Order: sequence, then C-alpha cells, then structure tokens
Amino acid sequence: MEKRHIMDRKIGVYVCECGPNIANALDIDRVIEAVSGMEDVAVVERYKLMCSPDGKKYLAGQIKEHGLTHLVVGACSPKQHEATFMGVCEEAGMNPFLMQMANLREQIAWITPDKEKATERAIRHMKAAIRRVRYHAPLEQKEIECNPDVLVIGGGIAGMSAALLLSSPGRKVFLVEKNEELGGMVSRCEKLFPDMVKGSEITEKRVKSLKEDENIEVLTGTVVENILGFFGNFVVTVRERESEPREFKVGAVVVAIGADLFNPGALAEYGYGKIKNVVTASEFEEMNLKGKIALKEGKIPKSVGIIHCVGRKEKGYCSEVCCRAGIKISRYLKEKIPDASVTQFYQDLCVPGSMAQAFYEETRNAGVEFVCTEGVKLSESAEKIQIDHDGKPAIVDLVVLLPAIEAAESTSKISEMLGVKEGKGGFLAEEHEKIGPVTTTVEGVFLVGTVSGPKTVRDTVSQSEAAAGKILSSLVPGRKLETEAKTSKITESLCTGCRTCLTVCCYSAIEYDESRGICKVNEVLCKGCGNCAAACPSGAAVHQQFTPIQIYREMVEVLR
Amino acid sequence: MTEKKEKAKDQVLVVGAGMAGIEASLTLAAADKKVYLVEKEPLFGGKVIKFEEVFANMECSTCMAAPKQQEVLQNENIELLTLSKVKEVQGEAGNFTVKIEKKARYVSLDDCIGCNECFEPCPVSLPNEFEENLGERKAIYIPCPGALPNVPSIDTENCVRFTKGKDCQLCKEACMFEAIDFGQKDEEVKINVGAIILATGFDLMDLKQISDRGYDGKANVYSALEMERLYASNGPTKGKITLRNGKEPASAAMIHCVGRKKVGYCSAVCCMYSFKFIHYFKDKLPEIKLYDFYSDLCMPGKSYQPFYEHLKDKTESVRFHDLKIAHHNGQVRLDFKSLTGRDEKVDVDMVILAPAVVPADGASELAKMLGIEQAENGFFGFQSSDRSPGESGREGIYLAGCVLGPEDIGRAIAQADAAAGKVLALLG
Repeated sequence: MEKRHIMDRKIGVYVCECGPNIANALDIDRVIEAVSGMEDVAVVERYKLMCSPDGKKYLAGQIKEHGLTHLVVGACSPKQHEATFMGVCEEAGMNPFLMQMANLREQIAWITPDKEKATERAIRHMKAAIRRVRYHAPLEQKEIECNPDVLVIGGGIAGMSAALLLSSPGRKVFLVEKNEELGGMVSRCEKLFPDMVKGSEITEKRVKSLKEDENIEVLTGTVVENILGFFGNFVVTVRERESEPREFKVGAVVVAIGADLFNPGALAEYGYGKIKNVVTASEFEEMNLKGKIALKEGKIPKSVGIIHCVGRKEKGYCSEVCCRAGIKISRYLKEKIPDASVTQFYQDLCVPGSMAQAFYEETRNAGVEFVCTEGVKLSESAEKIQIDHDGKPAIVDLVVLLPAIEAAESTSKISEMLGVKEGKGGFLAEEHEKIGPVTTTVEGVFLVGTVSGPKTVRDTVSQSEAAAGKILSSLVPGRKLETEAKTSKITESLCTGCRTCLTVCCYSAIEYDESRGICKVNEVLCKGCGNCAAACPSGAAVHQQFTPIQIYREMVEVLR
Repeated sequence: MTEKKEKAKDQVLVVGAGMAGIEASLTLAAADKKVYLVEKEPLFGGKVIKFEEVFANMECSTCMAAPKQQEVLQNENIELLTLSKVKEVQGEAGNFTVKIEKKARYVSLDDCIGCNECFEPCPVSLPNEFEENLGERKAIYIPCPGALPNVPSIDTENCVRFTKGKDCQLCKEACMFEAIDFGQKDEEVKINVGAIILATGFDLMDLKQISDRGYDGKANVYSALEMERLYASNGPTKGKITLRNGKEPASAAMIHCVGRKKVGYCSAVCCMYSFKFIHYFKDKLPEIKLYDFYSDLCMPGKSYQPFYEHLKDKTESVRFHDLKIAHHNGQVRLDFKSLTGRDEKVDVDMVILAPAVVPADGASELAKMLGIEQAENGFFGFQSSDRSPGESGREGIYLAGCVLGPEDIGRAIAQADAAAGKVLALLG
C-alpha cells in the first residue's frame, strides 16, 4: 500500500517570513537547512510575504516549474490562509488536499521569545508537516443532484408560516398535518398576547393562502410513517387515514410538530381532576372560544384564581409564555365578566421583551391582582376552591392552571425517524441554541416552533421563516449540492459490523447494511468530525485527512 | 435601465455587522447574492465579541463569532464596508439606490498583515472606548487583540497629523509593508440593491441617567459591559477582576433591572448575564462574597433555569424594593427594602449594574431616513403576533436582531435567517 503512494513524490517546502513576524522570531535559514535533505523534498525556499499577490503568483509558479506533487507552507495559522494557499494549488493544477500548513506564526513566533527555542520548534513543526503530507491522498469535493421540494410536518402556525415562505414555482411544499384541520394551538386561542389579535384571524388567513397556492400540497389527517435518505434526497412515506401509504421525494424536512401541555393531574397540590372548577389554560380557552365562561353548574364565576408555574419545578425549566398567557386570560375575564375578581398567583413574573411589560401593567391597572408566592395548595371549600398561599387562604369560584409546556408525545418517534436527538427538557435538540437555532446535526432537517422548546407565536414565526431562509439559500432548484471532501471512510473488508460508529456519529451519516453486516459512510452527510475513526475497534473507519499513518508520522516529528 | 434593475435584484444591503448582520449576510451569500455588509465601527462582530463567554453553556464567544467572521472575510460574495454609514436610500423593493459614506482607514486592508508594529511609536494615548474606557489605545489602533479585520485604523479626531497638522510619520515609518496611506480619502459609495436588512443592534442605557444607582464612572460601581471587559482575557486587565485601585474585591453585588422602570420593559437578557457574572466572579475569585439583587427572575425557555439552578448556591439572592446605591467609606452601600418591607443594608466592594437594553444610537434617524415603523420605545417593527417579526412596514426592508427589541443571540440569529428568507422569497 505505502509503496504506491510514495512513488514519484516531489514535495515543495516554503517558509513565509510574514514580514518581520516570522523572520525576526526564528532563524529561517536554519529551518531550511534542517529540512532540506528530507525524503522526497524537492525544493525548499523562503519568501517575504506568501499571501501577497506576488507571493501567490510565485508559489503557483514554483508548483508548475518544479512539477511539485505535494506542498508544505510554513506561515500563519491555517485559519488565516489555508483557503488562500489551497486556492493557489488549485490554480496551479495541484489537488489542494495535498498541501499542508505549519503554523509558524501564532503557534511559534508570536509566543516564543527565545529565538533559539523558536527555531527548534519551527524545525519540528516543519518536519512534521513534511512527513505527514507524504501520506496525503488527493480528495475531491463532489457534487450531487438535489430535489428542491420540502416536507413540512405540522400544520400549526409554525408549519404554515414555513410552507408559505418556501413556496415558489420551482419548489413544491408538502404540508402534512395529522389532524383534520390546520391551525394548531393558535386556532384554539380566542386571542393572542400581547396585541390581543384574534387567533382564528391569523390562522384562517394563512389556511386560505395555503389552499390557493398551487405549489403547496396540504395533506390533513395524514401522518408521516417514514423518512429515509439525506439532505437533498429524502424519501418520505405518508399515510392518510386507512388509505394506502404514499411515497414522495423531498430535499429538506421542516419539523413543526409543536408541543403538549404538562398534565397537572400528576401533582396533588392542584387537585386537578378531583376538585371541580379547576381547569387548565387550554380547557379555559376552549370554554371561552365556545362563547361562555361558566362554572360546571352553569353559573358565572365571580372570582377566579390563575395559578402560574404549574409543573415548572418538575420540568426544571420556565415555559416562557405562561405569565403572558395568564395575563391574557385575565383580560378575557375582565372583558366578559367585568365585576369578577381576578387574582394571579405567580412566582417570578417573566415578561421579557419590549412589549410584554406594558401588557402586564395595563392588565394590572384594569384591576387584576398579582400575588407573588412561593407556591399554592388547592382544596375544596363549600362548593368553592380554597387557595392556600404563604399561610393565607383565598377563596375563589374558578381556578385556571397554567401548566408547563412539554415535548409533544410524537417527539420521540420523529427523533428516531430523523436521527435528531432529544435534548434539554426532552425537546428536539437544535444544532446550536445560539448560532444554529433552527438547524440540526442532521443536514437538511430543520426545527421550528415549540418542538425545540417553549416559544411565543412571534418567535415561532421567526424560526419558521429562518428555516425557510436556510432552505432557500442552500437548496436552490437546478443547483447541485457540494459535499465535504474531508470525510471518513469505512473499509468494507475490515468492518465487523459492530455498529460502534453508529452510536458516536453526530450527523447520522453512517448506515448499517443489514444484508452485508457492515457499516457505510454517507459522503453527503459526513462532516469529517472523525468520531467514528476514533471509536472503531477494528480500524475500518478512517478519516481521510487524519489517517493513522498521517497522524503517526506527524506526531513522531513533533514529539522528537 | 433594465440592466441596472437586474443587477439590483442580485444585490442586498445589510446594515450592521454584529451576529445578526453576519448571519444574514452568510445566508444570502450562500444563495449567490452579492452582499454589502455595512458597519460603522473599524471592526465587526458587534457586542458579542466584547464578551468572554456566553450564557447558558458558557461557551467562548470568540470561538462562536470568529469562524463566522472569517467566513465573511473570505466569502467572495460579501463586501464588508467598515467605518461606513448609510447616508441615503431611494427607490423601492427590488431596486433601491443607496449612498454610503465610507470613512478612510488610512491603512490598506490589502497590504497590512496585522503585525501591530505601528502602534508603539504613536505619541497619542487615550481611553479605549471598546474597553469601556478601562484601557488605553493609540491614535492608530486595533480596538482589541483578535479584532477583525486585523488591520488598524487611524482615529483622525486624535491623531496629531490630523488634529494639529503636524508632520508625524512615526506609524508609517514603523510599517514594513507600506500599508499606511495618509492620502486615503473618505468616499461615497453608491450601490444598487434589491433589498435591505437592518441589523444595527442595541446600546445599553446610559447609567448616568439613573441617579440612585451610584454610577459615576469613577467609584467601584460598574456597568455590565465594563464587567465583561474586566473578565475578558483580551481585555485591559487580561481577565483579572480588579477594583479601580487594582485590588481584588472581597464582595460584590449584581443589580438587575437597572432602568427598567424608566424604559417600561424587561430587557430579557439581564437576569441571565447577571448569573453569568456570578460564574465569572467565582471562577476568578472563589472566596468572594456575592449578592444578587433582583425583582423577578426572568429565565425563559428550556435552557436558562438549569443554568440558574447550577449557580444559585454561590450567591445570596435578594429580592428587593426601593434600592439606593451610594458610596460609603470606600465601599458601596446598598440600602433597600426586602419583600417583607424591612429596611436593610449591605456594604460591598464592587457593584455591577445590569442596564436596560435600548435602541442603538441613531436608530430614530435611520427609521426616519428609511420611512419604517418605529415603536414609542424606539425599537423597529410591529411587535404583533399577526406580522412576521422581520417586517419593517416598508416592502424590501427587513429587520433582524436587537433593532426589534431586546433579544438573546439565538433569537437574533433566527431573525437574521428569517430576514434573509424574506429577501430571497422577494428577489428570487
């Protein structure tokens, strides 16, 4: 194996002076002298500033003039100029992956005051790069055909917003909703905070646009049974009620399945399901939407207690929207039963952002009481409900509980189907909470709305449009997808089919071939993290730019 | 005419090169749009690059921002215009004509390699605004180590060549790459774009407006951004948390909600970064006694409360009313009412204030120039559940990040991609 690679190698070695940065900090001539005789090294030179236009021209000329097969550049951090020098290689007709940089500036010159020591270190780093690059093989960035169509799972505000922005003549959008009606959680609210706009108004407008849109196919009463494939090439199986399964292809998947509410019946202190006239926020919304806020026995409540943070402790997180939802409910009450007394029992009032506090203050000024308390206990008291808080009792006709938002029941199934992991709080995990809030570690799969955690409608819409933005920019009709060149490979003959690699791959890039009992890397999905190569017990999985021999030769020189 | 229009359709202007502006630019560039990314400062990266770490996972913020910044610098579809301001916008969605005032840097972005040799000989020293004036800089400078682009600029308001007309050439003589060019001129750049994204970010409220929080810029009462720079490894103290006399504090108090009453809203991120400061303090000074003064804890979402739970035992949490902060025998005295209404006081060495997030300086002028919606509190957009957050009230102009109100980074990034999505849907 090795012999074949080593034949006819001509390595060019270049040390950049980086003006005074490297030239003054170490003895470049000594470095040149030390590496000159090394195996396969055809030429060693120094240059004043390799990244300058003249420097790049010089380097390209050298590659052609000496017929170099491999290149080592001792200069700055690869973060600074690796792309620059790879570009030079390409221009000169050399595979850019046959170039290796040694970081003489940031890792040596700038941090080693002693010139002698700096020179020695530079020699070691240059030798390491030279010995390593001999084992580099040419790699290729491949292009694959892709399907621009998109599957959106979930027909709530999240899914509808994504579908509408994605639709265009060159792209078909399949919007799949398991219920018979679109609209989700928003359509089940009379109004939304903080501007008290009608929920149905928001959803109906969108439902109408969706139905009129020729590029969107709405599939209600339909569930997604399976999704196979990868970014640009997913195969989706859906089934509408009892009918035959249907299969279609898409390039990307937007998951907008929403969330559920925590069941307060699990917590004894709220008496939910036992004490009459204790209802959840969603039950209250339903009653209100039907047109009449009434007690079980039909009477109009004269006093209402709204309990915040139900299940917060058990869940371990704040559900973000409950405070504002509670305030909204007290607005319903004040509007429809003006003389009812309404009291909010809260722990911390969470009203973030530029609008929420005004919403709270207006409601408080309208006569809604806010009681800050550590916790409450409910009990039945002569047809009414007693709320014990901080050693004091309050008696009300009706209690509305604001339960925590929790991951939807179907989350695990979707997680398994798509390979997107369940993260904090059992919600699906984003690629990065800060800088990748709608992408996932599975390329081409996006999360929008409450599937990745509690969220307001506004933030949900923002995420839906963000996913659409990402898809519009990466999955362009007629354009091919470029894959990562520095991927892992699994050698079939060495693979024992133990599937260790499957468990460590963050990108769901490894498939197990049942019939042959071996694992395979999907080159489109692999991002070259190297986890599989490190974990593989039989040496079958290898990162193509970090092969054992490359790492070994490099380490031997660095540690010498 | 048609030709010009076609060109505009392929180009987008992004104003503000913080995290939101960077994200929007990268997403648009990936769709093969030519992006003009305009930034008023000599460096880009926004507020985030002032932070050492980011809540709730305490990730290094430079490690988060720098790769994206590098991508911007290396992306052929993005033209970053630093020291630049939008002066005029005419036209309509699909075809805007934009005039940009681009100030001279006096250092060539092509020739400079960022070796910093030019700073030392400069005879002018002054407080460094990037370091919240806790450190110094020269008249030719890079705001902080690691700033990008890694090319200095000359501050003509302080360089003696420009202020006094002296023939000082010390920086030019020190430069081995002939990168310094006093002959550079301010330019007016005229571009045609199909759409505009505004991502001009936020400022923190000027603490001198709040009389009862003891902030005078001299005593040991600090703003949150000052604290960030004190802890920053590339900051003026190289990450050592010290008082103004150079000593380490033995006690400190974090004060939430500073200016909240005045602005009339909760700034959404202050509770979380105050907890982060608890981590900062305990990391550097494990023995320090800490107090956390709050009124309501705001830690929305699945990730923030666990972060608080992890830190709450490292501080004494005080839910307060009527807080007054004053200087007292070399320390800082906090007089307050507890929840039960009792008068109490605490003396500490150091106080960190969490000021309200307010619209960026110049936001009103920008809104007026562009003819877009501005709420009474100064933030842009509609703040309605029925509108996309990114809508500005004018077709072809979209919003992202803290121009919309106080947001955390995750929200700002989503809004940036949403704005990019709207642009791509509009321009095709």
